[in-house]
Amino acid sequence: MITFRNVSVEYRPGEKALDDINLEIQEGEFVVIVGLSGAGKSTLIRTINNLVPITDGELQVDGNSVGDLSRSGVRKLRSRIGMIFQGFNLVDRATVIQNVLMGRVYKLPTWRNVFGAYPKKDKQIAAKALNRVDLLEKAHSRATDLSGGQRQRVGIARALSQEPRVILADEPVASLDPPTSHAVMQHLQKINRDLGITTIVNLHFLDLATAYGDRIIGLRGGKVVFDGKGSECTPEIFEGIYGRSLTAEDTLQEDI
Amino acid sequence: MQASELKIPKKPGLRGSVMFSISFAFVLTIVTMITVEFSLLEIIENFTRPNMVVDGLLSPDLTQIFSERSRSAFLETLQLAILGTVSGGGLSLLMAFWATDFGNPIGWLRVVVRNFNNVIRSIPDLLWALLFVTAVGVGILPGLLALFFFSMAVVTKLTSDTLDGIDQGPIEAARASGSGQLSMLRMAVLPQILPSYASFLLYGFELNLRASAVLGLVGAGGIGSRIEFFRGRLEWSEVWGLVLMFFLVVFLVERLSVTIRRRLV
Amino acid sequence: MSNLSLPNKPVDWFRNTITLAIAVAVIWSLIGLEIKWERLIDLPGDLYVIGTLMFGEMNIEDFPDLVGAMWESISIAWVGTLIAALFAIPLSFLAAENLVGRPLAWLIRQVFNLLRAIPEVILAVALIPIFGLTPLTGVLAIGIGSIGTLGKLFYEVIEAIKKEPLEAADAVGANKLVRFRWGVVPQVMPEMASFVLYRFEVNIRASAVMGLIGAGGIGNDVAQALRFNDWSVAGMGMLIVIFGTITVDAISGAARKQIIRGSSAKSLTPVEVQA
Repeated sequence: MITFRNVSVEYRPGEKALDDINLEIQEGEFVVIVGLSGAGKSTLIRTINNLVPITDGELQVDGNSVGDLSRSGVRKLRSRIGMIFQGFNLVDRATVIQNVLMGRVYKLPTWRNVFGAYPKKDKQIAAKALNRVDLLEKAHSRATDLSGGQRQRVGIARALSQEPRVILADEPVASLDPPTSHAVMQHLQKINRDLGITTIVNLHFLDLATAYGDRIIGLRGGKVVFDGKGSECTPEIFEGIYGRSLTAEDTLQEDI
Repeated sequence: MQASELKIPKKPGLRGSVMFSISFAFVLTIVTMITVEFSLLEIIENFTRPNMVVDGLLSPDLTQIFSERSRSAFLETLQLAILGTVSGGGLSLLMAFWATDFGNPIGWLRVVVRNFNNVIRSIPDLLWALLFVTAVGVGILPGLLALFFFSMAVVTKLTSDTLDGIDQGPIEAARASGSGQLSMLRMAVLPQILPSYASFLLYGFELNLRASAVLGLVGAGGIGSRIEFFRGRLEWSEVWGLVLMFFLVVFLVERLSVTIRRRLV
Repeated sequence: MSNLSLPNKPVDWFRNTITLAIAVAVIWSLIGLEIKWERLIDLPGDLYVIGTLMFGEMNIEDFPDLVGAMWESISIAWVGTLIAALFAIPLSFLAAENLVGRPLAWLIRQVFNLLRAIPEVILAVALIPIFGLTPLTGVLAIGIGSIGTLGKLFYEVIEAIKKEPLEAADAVGANKLVRFRWGVVPQVMPEMASFVLYRFEVNIRASAVMGLIGAGGIGNDVAQALRFNDWSVAGMGMLIVIFGTITVDAISGAARKQIIRGSSAKSLTPVEVQA
């Protein structure tokens, strides 16, 4: 479904954010990417929907060669990939349902999007997405009025309403407290299991990574240094990925 | 899963206050447009019709600066702005002190000074000029008086705000060492506000320079009188020439003033 | 005990030069201006006389006309502000460096700077021959004169928006227009509305002043009254200006507070360009 072949990304000449990545991700997989900040996690995930263009190699996503797409081709690809952000990236002053309906943007004519005149069918899709994250009753609240965990669930619903083939989540729980973090991860896992949507999540908490990741990919200095089952991941392997011994900050729960 | 339709909670209607505000703004707009006899047609017609004002703007008479009388009017404006700022701005330091509790121990006097400051601030520059033209007759003096009060109002306000935020520690220290009121202000307060105060003076000078252009329109001297003179004779090329020269002067003075202000603060 | 000598005080050339320059400027101005200082002696007495004439006795019959004229000033300010906003809003988006290229933004900003530099009164002077001594002159002078300030306030708001919602719009495949509608507009609307009201408050004063040179509104009545020594009318006119301004300020200020509170926007009053 997603294939990286010798993919590199340079933000500035000579500064490689991603260095010769080779990966194969199958349909329906739940993949967790771990690594220190600056290891290239965010870059990797953003190459998949071309928010960061690749500078070298070949990246196939759902039958498209990402590097060769036209602008409208990029928009079409993005419409089939949901994205969840660390800072939620909601339109704060808009209502919850309006935020979720943003996921329908690509399928609707521009005038409907501009005036917020959505057809019933699309409203149903948004409502189902909201229901899936247990927020339907908050549909008309303003996004600013929600708690952090609720806001991230709106983010998930927005991605779901795209009816995506892939969901990318960039540090979705980094700004949340432990119980809320688990709730959000469980939602993502359940969506992956129920709907078979390929899910790729960046995490820096190791216990969350092993708890939810069927497959774990470790990045260090823009290179893949580990790729294996989540259950096989031992603290020694993580120390290899991080290039240092583990500390309390590397886990969500205080005790390892 | 597909079969069951989900019910989205009912969208709450717009809040009453929001509805009220929107309709109020709408009605206000309609009524005010009627009051001012707004007519888009008239605006377009008047602007597209050839007229001497626009013609004058397109061919401004830049030789005005070489005319003896225009040049002396420029100098007059500059001198008015300098004297107005130095006198008004100078007094404003006193006014600002008198409006604070450490600068003025007498409670009722403080209230009087504060209210006086508020009143003079609410009167615009052109009205000052008109008032003094009425009181002392046409000439330079009403212009100077207008700029005096105008800059005093502005600088007092800015200086008072600065005084409100100064460090009270040195005042206490000066009092503890037994210094009198005046030396306390000199040693503990003045050094704290001097840079900002100097920068406010320059700012007041910029404002005064701009204001002095319009004072002449009501007979209070300076370059504005000269503009008014040509306007009365419908010589718009000369009017625009003067306005452009004036902007050049203001621009240069502002550059200079901003540079100095940066060094001060 | 030997005498201690303080180290020599360093000479502050910057300060000395400035002080000297000011002293020279003041003397030059004093000599240059031919002011009849003796008129100052009579000034306090004259002001007192004028004051008693203006505020001593008022004629209630003048009241309705003057209130009508004040309403005209308010109307001029409102319509003028709306016209300015109509132009400033689209232009300000073109002046925001985070939305358009630098050259275009720079160009539009120069237009704003130019418009900001022209005092409204000068605009009114230029518009009177075209539109006559009518309120429309005042409306247009205020309209044109406020585009620059509003535009500047607006593009600063636009440049302060958060990038995240824009990224989200990109990620769902939105086109430029939709990206703008949901990524930018909701973030800037409340501040813009609040700044329009703020400018309206400023413009009421401006429109009252412009009347003094004949551009409609209450200033007209006050100027005429002063010219023809109709003291009580002038006095009542001034009181109505002050009272009217304070009243509208209070209403408009409350509305701004409401807008900002309702939207959790950041600032209530624009930071003035000073100091």
